[in-house]
Amino acid sequence: MAEASTVAADRPKHLHHHFVSSDQQFDAAKLGMWLFLVTEILLFSGMFVAYAVFRIWYPEVFSLSSELLDWRLGGLNTIVLLASSFTVAMGVHYAQTNERKKLVWALISTIFLAAVFLVVKYFEYTGKFAHGVFPGINFDPQGTAGGHDYAAYNIPFAAQFFSIYFVMTGIHGLHVLIGMGLFTWLTVRASRGHFSSEYYTPVEITGLYWHFVDIIWIFLFPLLYLI
Amino acid sequence: MAHAEHYVTPKKTLIQVFLALVTLTAITIVAARTELGVLNLPIALTIAFLKASLVVVIFMALKSDNRMHAVVFLVGAVFVVIFLVLTLFDTAYRGDLPNTVEGTIMEEQAEIDALRARDPGPRPTPPNE
Repeated sequence: MAEASTVAADRPKHLHHHFVSSDQQFDAAKLGMWLFLVTEILLFSGMFVAYAVFRIWYPEVFSLSSELLDWRLGGLNTIVLLASSFTVAMGVHYAQTNERKKLVWALISTIFLAAVFLVVKYFEYTGKFAHGVFPGINFDPQGTAGGHDYAAYNIPFAAQFFSIYFVMTGIHGLHVLIGMGLFTWLTVRASRGHFSSEYYTPVEITGLYWHFVDIIWIFLFPLLYLI
Repeated sequence: MAHAEHYVTPKKTLIQVFLALVTLTAITIVAARTELGVLNLPIALTIAFLKASLVVVIFMALKSDNRMHAVVFLVGAVFVVIFLVLTLFDTAYRGDLPNTVEGTIMEEQAEIDALRARDPGPRPTPPNE
């Protein structure tokens, strides 16, 4: 017992007892995150394959339907998400260089940008719902907005395009929401001084997750908005 | 000391990558809104892959990271390609071969069964007997 506590005294607080060193713990966490990200890639790839199958079957339906998605809002959200990826990368940099205050600000900026993304998404979704553009069997476009006569878009298989749009952006949006929760947690911990160049694993692996969310959007934007 | 060997991506690099990503986004929007016919999709996908690579290599620091993580990531990517290509081999080519007969296999089988069941009549004499 006495021996165990002496050993524990030499060990940094963040180091779990089942790891030999901080490096081993860091590497294990990071490898685990990469493996998780591969499962995430495969989750989204199922939806991308569905997109490819339907787009090859009905290319003209896809190019017509995507006219109803506003590329300005999609483009704005692309820039917003790229900026948030940048602030996360800066956050990791500041954690590595022991700049605590800047790390906290980088994390808060990320949360803010993620919130902007979701607000834009909210306006896009409600704009669609207001004109009867729903996923699935309730698809019934009508009315006019932005110079589009929605009823003219009620063609066979347009519902499939919008179902794919809502499911892909919806699950992506869920990831953004989860990311906001994670960054809130990180901000609290960072402001309490839990992270330093010696230990910043949570910042690093949450950053990896966030970059992955960014990459999914990098593909969703041209494939859905810019056909 | 424990993290001495961790690569710290310089701020300048991060800013350059961010500006490159924004520029590529602008290019992809302009390219998509110009009518380029069949070229539109390849251009959009090339730019998307370029942007994703920048994020993976610099922001996710795969370039300066343990090689194991790059291997894990690439294995995942290979499985996505297998998934996509093999699925499209089926769905993208459905209906390219016209059916040689009208109707379903069940109907065809019913016709054959009906032929077998009828009175065969006298057998034709084989030529070499």
